[in-house]
Amino acid sequence: LAKQFGASDEAMRGLGDPDRFPFSPEERAAFRFADAMTREGGRVPDEIFEELRRHFDEPQIVEIATVIGTFNYFNRFNNAFDTDITLLDPDVAVRRVERAAAEAADAKALCERVVEILAPGRRYFWVGVFQRIGDRLALLAFRGPAPASSAFRPGEGNVGAAGKTGATRVMDDLSASSPSGACLAAARSALIVPVRSGESIVGVIDVEGDKVGAFDEEDRALVERIAGVLAPALSLS
Amino acid sequence: MARLTRLSQDQVEPSLRHHFEKFLAERGNIPNMFRTVAHRPEILETLLAHFRAVMGPGTVPERLKEMIAVRVSTLNSCDY
Repeated sequence: LAKQFGASDEAMRGLGDPDRFPFSPEERAAFRFADAMTREGGRVPDEIFEELRRHFDEPQIVEIATVIGTFNYFNRFNNAFDTDITLLDPDVAVRRVERAAAEAADAKALCERVVEILAPGRRYFWVGVFQRIGDRLALLAFRGPAPASSAFRPGEGNVGAAGKTGATRVMDDLSASSPSGACLAAARSALIVPVRSGESIVGVIDVEGDKVGAFDEEDRALVERIAGVLAPALSLS
Repeated sequence: MARLTRLSQDQVEPSLRHHFEKFLAERGNIPNMFRTVAHRPEILETLLAHFRAVMGPGTVPERLKEMIAVRVSTLNSCDY
């Protein structure tokens, strides 16, 4: 939640035990106060409060306590209702890809931008863009673990199958198919979308999830729209 | 799977729409918690105002407040 509300990566590194990180004495005092106020119904021992007082004045203590209280409120609300993690809005993602398509020097640079936009924004475990070069589908760009294979022949594996049939495939549970044909051994589900230019298939976008059923209709529609934006660039080069 | 529905930009009260537009422009999304609270427009309105007053510029560094927020969320094992 904190990260979604703009907490920096630097702040995120404070995740573990504060004693192991080079925090200042005032930061440590604030963390111990936050821990005590979050646990045990918020009853804070005297020594923790006295330490906080040594470093902060009363307006500052009020401000710190409202941060702790607000996040306890938000966390409880979201835990109670299993609020889904917020993902990049599909319309915004498509607009970013359209802008990249207008600016990118070549197909590879554009595909790099596409995986850079999709992987963190949509929390995709793995995403790769393949381009049809001769009789192969070659991986132009990806984000996530290094795949076992970076090129497929039409009909080979799930990527090759999409390259041959031209139909989107949503595979909710890869353990049900044998062999899985996914790029990654760790993949549990996949969304594979062909990139079509007229009658021909010029590429494939392959998204793989580390959980069963990682992709819904919103993901399918989004990746299909992005395939439409990529088509001219993949067919020209 | 979330237990409550979340409202989209075209479903929220017109008075809230500018908040949603601002989130989309600045962050590329609207936090799902806020889309959920949008079922009660008056509450979302003051929640956002309170959130900005608490986390925005004040008397302690914003970086410290972010770290406190991360720490509290971790203690509450909140994945969201």
